[in-house]
Amino acid sequence: MKLEYSGKEQIPANIETVWAFVTDPQKVGRCLPELLELAVQDATHFDAVVRVGVGPVRGKFRFKVELQPNTEARRMNLKISGGGLGSAVDLTAGADVIDAGAGTTTLSWDGTALMRGPVATVGGRVLDAQAQKLISQTFANVRDALSCVT
Amino acid sequence: MSTDAKPRHAIGHAIKRKEDPRFVQGKGHYVDDVTLPGMLYLSLVRSPYPHAEIKRIDISDALKIPGVKAVITGADLEAAGLGWLPTFHGFDKQMVLAIGKVLFQYQEVAAVFAETRAAAADGAEAVQVEYEPLPAVSDPFTAKKDEVILRPDREAKTNHIFHWEVGDRDGADRALEKSARRVKQRIWFQRCHPAPLEPCACVAHFDTMGRLQFHVTSQAPHVYRTALAIVTGIPEDKIHVMAPDIGGGFGNKVPVYPGYVCAIVGALKLGRPVKWVETRTENLTSTGFARDYHMDVELGASPDGRLTAMKVSTTADHGAFDAAADPTKYPAGMFGIVTGSYQVPVAHAEVDAYFTNKAPGGIAYRCSFRVTEASYAIERAMDILADDLGIDAAELRRRNFIAKDQFPYASALGFTYDSGDYEQTLTKALETIGYQDLLKEQAEKRARGELMGIGLSTFTEVVGAGPSKHFDILGIKMFDSAEIRIHPTGAGIVRTGTKSQGQGHETTWAQIVAEELGLDPQTIMVEEGDTDTAPYGLGTYASRSTPTAGAAIAMAARRIREKARKIAAHLLEVGEGDVEWKDYKFQITGVPTKSVTMKEVAFAAYTNPGQNEPGLEATHYYDPPNMTFPSGAYVAVVDIDRETGEVKVRRFLAVDDCGTVINPLVVEGQIHGGLTEGFAIAFMQEIQYDHEGNNLNTNFTDYLIPTALETPHWETAKTVTPSPHHPIGAKGVGESPNVGSPAAFVNAVIDALSPLGVRHIDMPITRDKVWRAIRGAQAVSVG
Repeated sequence: MKLEYSGKEQIPANIETVWAFVTDPQKVGRCLPELLELAVQDATHFDAVVRVGVGPVRGKFRFKVELQPNTEARRMNLKISGGGLGSAVDLTAGADVIDAGAGTTTLSWDGTALMRGPVATVGGRVLDAQAQKLISQTFANVRDALSCVT
Repeated sequence: MSTDAKPRHAIGHAIKRKEDPRFVQGKGHYVDDVTLPGMLYLSLVRSPYPHAEIKRIDISDALKIPGVKAVITGADLEAAGLGWLPTFHGFDKQMVLAIGKVLFQYQEVAAVFAETRAAAADGAEAVQVEYEPLPAVSDPFTAKKDEVILRPDREAKTNHIFHWEVGDRDGADRALEKSARRVKQRIWFQRCHPAPLEPCACVAHFDTMGRLQFHVTSQAPHVYRTALAIVTGIPEDKIHVMAPDIGGGFGNKVPVYPGYVCAIVGALKLGRPVKWVETRTENLTSTGFARDYHMDVELGASPDGRLTAMKVSTTADHGAFDAAADPTKYPAGMFGIVTGSYQVPVAHAEVDAYFTNKAPGGIAYRCSFRVTEASYAIERAMDILADDLGIDAAELRRRNFIAKDQFPYASALGFTYDSGDYEQTLTKALETIGYQDLLKEQAEKRARGELMGIGLSTFTEVVGAGPSKHFDILGIKMFDSAEIRIHPTGAGIVRTGTKSQGQGHETTWAQIVAEELGLDPQTIMVEEGDTDTAPYGLGTYASRSTPTAGAAIAMAARRIREKARKIAAHLLEVGEGDVEWKDYKFQITGVPTKSVTMKEVAFAAYTNPGQNEPGLEATHYYDPPNMTFPSGAYVAVVDIDRETGEVKVRRFLAVDDCGTVINPLVVEGQIHGGLTEGFAIAFMQEIQYDHEGNNLNTNFTDYLIPTALETPHWETAKTVTPSPHHPIGAKGVGESPNVGSPAAFVNAVIDALSPLGVRHIDMPITRDKVWRAIRGAQAVSVG
């Protein structure tokens, strides 16, 4: 099951602050909703355990996350793969970090999720909303975290 | 001396099933009821990917879960020489646990053994498997392109598994060229699943003598014993297979599955009994599916509707392994029955099978090896031809039926039909349902724009595999067997190589003995499924039990009767030649008052046998001379709601001809069950895969089982055309309703929609498909 999403967040912080945040695995990792464990491997890799609930499928998912920053283009790509409960999730997300003037920044993001296993079937009826929530909440958390900083 | 007449409960009597009191009281004994001291539980780690390389399997976290005793992987099994399992027809092998890569979603990847079922499940969840996804092939037409080779382990680097054909291709082509009318249709019999309510299960245990005691839900326990001996290397005398009560099989419990091998390996490795019981999802996603045949059917006919030729070209989706449990010489099963009940002068059928990233199977779901697919193809095609010619569907069938006096009939595709009276069966069906009145009602409704359909299916099956010159599984000939022991009091026990899963053998086998020996069926016990006690046989599937084991029982009983005749002669103080078996007792020829019953002979066999060998028992291994050919005429009447697409089955009549009927109640029960399954296949069930190879029907919320609410009321009737070669004339009936009914349902729906120009809809005929067809037709007419 393939799902595609996109959205925008307005952040009251300048572009350099936002870029520094989204390229820091410690910081961006903590923006995953329902995070249970975070283990940073290096500057671009971290492992995360999150709590999930999709229909009757409830439990923990383990993810490996790779950050692929393009400093020149100010675009951050994320490759997230993992799963749990007999299911696999492969997620690619990207965010363009755009200077919106007056010390604010626009985070324009898009994501594609490929789900396999019970998550794609048992939870199929509610998966779309859940997956969209997962991705949008991550970027919303980035916004909230940076709003607090400023 | 007694003068008893025919025993009250012999053949033809609707006695209640002897097995039912224990089932309706919840006293059935199933594999999951087997609990042994120290028993461990097995849970399998399964792949979420349909096609992926396995980069790494980390079992360390699983071993930390309290209660987990061991975890094994494909590499462990391969090192022990147990990595692969031969499939039943012997042309392919299947990974027990994935080695190197996975080939379908939910494939078995690792086995976890633990003290409790919950700990085993937690352990399975904790096994971490790193996959590298590979492109998935989820249909046979993509597989055909060979752009991704799924099975590099095989010598031939192609996804093509086999090409099978039968008949006269050139002759059929020429005849079609010359035919005044030709119709052609792609007909897909969707992938469905038998979904027995009891999933697959086993308990493996090595006793103090080192002997494997294996409790399993198997339709073919003896074949299991042999197959397990071949796979594991355990000598066959050290394997004891026991199949207790089975909660439905329908072909799903014929193959040997990886979970069984893992349970045995676990029991051996850990020295403790191991139980494995599938979940519903595991059953639906990894065990034998059925059908998935894409059939291009072409019929030629004269202007007055006489068939001139038939061609069928089929593309078959076999999934990741070629695990269809077909006899060795028949990779496409009995698909040659595709000419059905009709005189087809020349025909050709071919099947090309392909690997895909889907669960393996292609098993005979309540069907004698691809007979359902074949019957559906010809019965749909006949309706399409009738529509094309503007001839009534019943009349077109009548014009082409094989006539009663043409039997034995050699079909264009190589079968010799034993007997039939299709005209009589159809006539009975049409009269019973009131066909002419229904046609009149339909004409009136059509004039008002209402959608009413009448669907026919006049099918012929080929069942009872089978004669040893043609049929084997793993090289073992497909005979079956019976052993009968009559005790001193005239009670007795029958053991056969078959295994009932709801067919009612405990009752019907006793009735055959009662008929042959003049005994009370209530005192004849039937025991099946224990390989230590029952004679060797190939099991129960493909409607083969009555044609093979039922025949073996009659023949063994007749052997007993011959011995009993000698003892009767001794009791009557005459020569054996002066004793005749008449009115269910022995009498001095022409002197009915001088007689002895079998019960009296049985007592004498142990107390006063005279010069004869004591005891009264016999065994027979029956090698059938031919298959049997049950037939039927089914009629469905449907009403369709134009606005919602909802189809209501108003009436359904099944007139079956299964030859001699042993027990009308059991036959009716079989027909009700099979019709309900056929209804589900026609309207509700499909195992779907998306383009990424995800199985979308993994449980009973997505794969629907009809309840009493949805199930139509079934009307049944019969005609009787005995099989001339079967000892009691019986043909088998368990599968007829599943084989014959889907076409009747679909023909009825298409008949209802035909005024709109709808020619075909593939099953399952869900209400959204009907709604779209109605809307599509209206759009065309408006446009």
